[in-house]
Amino acid sequence: MSLGTAITMKRSFWARATIFGLFLSAGCLGVLIGLFVTFVEVEHGKGFAAMEAGPWTGWPRSEASDIDPYSRAILAYSGKRTLSESDAMSFVAHGDSDGAEFDPACDYVLKGEIPSARYWTLTLLSPAGDLIANPADRQGFTSSELLRANDGQLEITLSRHARPGNWLPLGRASKFILVLRFYDSELSAPAAALDAAHMPVLVKGRCE
Amino acid sequence: MNRIDRALAAILWVLSVLAIAGITHIVAIFALPEVEAKDTYSRIAELSKPGQAAVLPQSSPDKPFVPFVDPAMVQSICPFDLSEGGLRVHADVEAESLLTFSFRTSAGQVFYSMSDLAAQQGKIDVVVLTPAQLEIAEANDDEDDPSQDLRLIAPETKGFVIISALAAYQSERAEAEERVKSVACTVEQTAQD
Repeated sequence: MSLGTAITMKRSFWARATIFGLFLSAGCLGVLIGLFVTFVEVEHGKGFAAMEAGPWTGWPRSEASDIDPYSRAILAYSGKRTLSESDAMSFVAHGDSDGAEFDPACDYVLKGEIPSARYWTLTLLSPAGDLIANPADRQGFTSSELLRANDGQLEITLSRHARPGNWLPLGRASKFILVLRFYDSELSAPAAALDAAHMPVLVKGRCE
Repeated sequence: MNRIDRALAAILWVLSVLAIAGITHIVAIFALPEVEAKDTYSRIAELSKPGQAAVLPQSSPDKPFVPFVDPAMVQSICPFDLSEGGLRVHADVEAESLLTFSFRTSAGQVFYSMSDLAAQQGKIDVVVLTPAQLEIAEANDDEDDPSQDLRLIAPETKGFVIISALAAYQSERAEAEERVKSVACTVEQTAQD
């Protein structure tokens, strides 16, 4: 083997290695970027099916394929509707009507109009979706349980301390969210236009 | 290689990175629901055998079972395996008591859902079938006395039904549990003649 052939072979080996390296790096980097974008999207995104109304973000009931893949992935990742996705139209609130995140040291009042449904339920949960212990052993209200004012207005007080009327105890939670579910409601129609005026508002009250 | 060649190679490399990132993202978004659902649904599926309904344990602050449950709902699961025959779901419905049915594939994808409002003469009769079983059932139909069953074709042979009853008041929990338990799930033996 002459020196010349050896050098050509070496060169072609390095040329091949470079090309292989380029392919490998493109593949790895591409997969990493793709996974990162997916993670950011499911962690912070809302999906195309999400509906916003004041502090509430809602998702229509979903059957088979009538919900986009993004919404489906986001809902699956958060575990928000594992068992109830086809039964109820659900809305989640992470903060009050002014856009501030819930602070369990404060009182909140949920009031105003509520879309009509055969039944609806309001549930207090930790951001991970677990129930929060409290001495009154109440984690939420159903539309039937609610005490209504004489004018039919809805008013629920969220507080760590006992309050008259409809009191939803906050317990010792460090963070909480609210979930509003509508069963057999006209809202179930995916196309139902949603108006923030018809959803209850969440007003911050006194803080400790 | 001159400069233009190098620039073209670099652009091609960036494009291929983006293409791979795009493909990964799309695959991940589509795969995520199944991957995420697996844990929950395999845990639920362990509670019961095909053709047998089991009430799901009640989630409580110290014993969470599944996240984001509605504590006002009592739920049961009824798995099915259509290779052993269709699944018949029968319920007697009381007026004004919310009872919902969610028909799902083993990965949790909903293929049909209904509430007690769909009952006819106070009864709900749903039969989940494979396309072949549906043909047999239709061939066996009596033309003068058509079946009142709602026949559903399942996209997969295995899956489950989630039955939920609302306890409108906390004191009605036991009653809601009775309502869920009264829903009968049975394996339907289709006549082979």
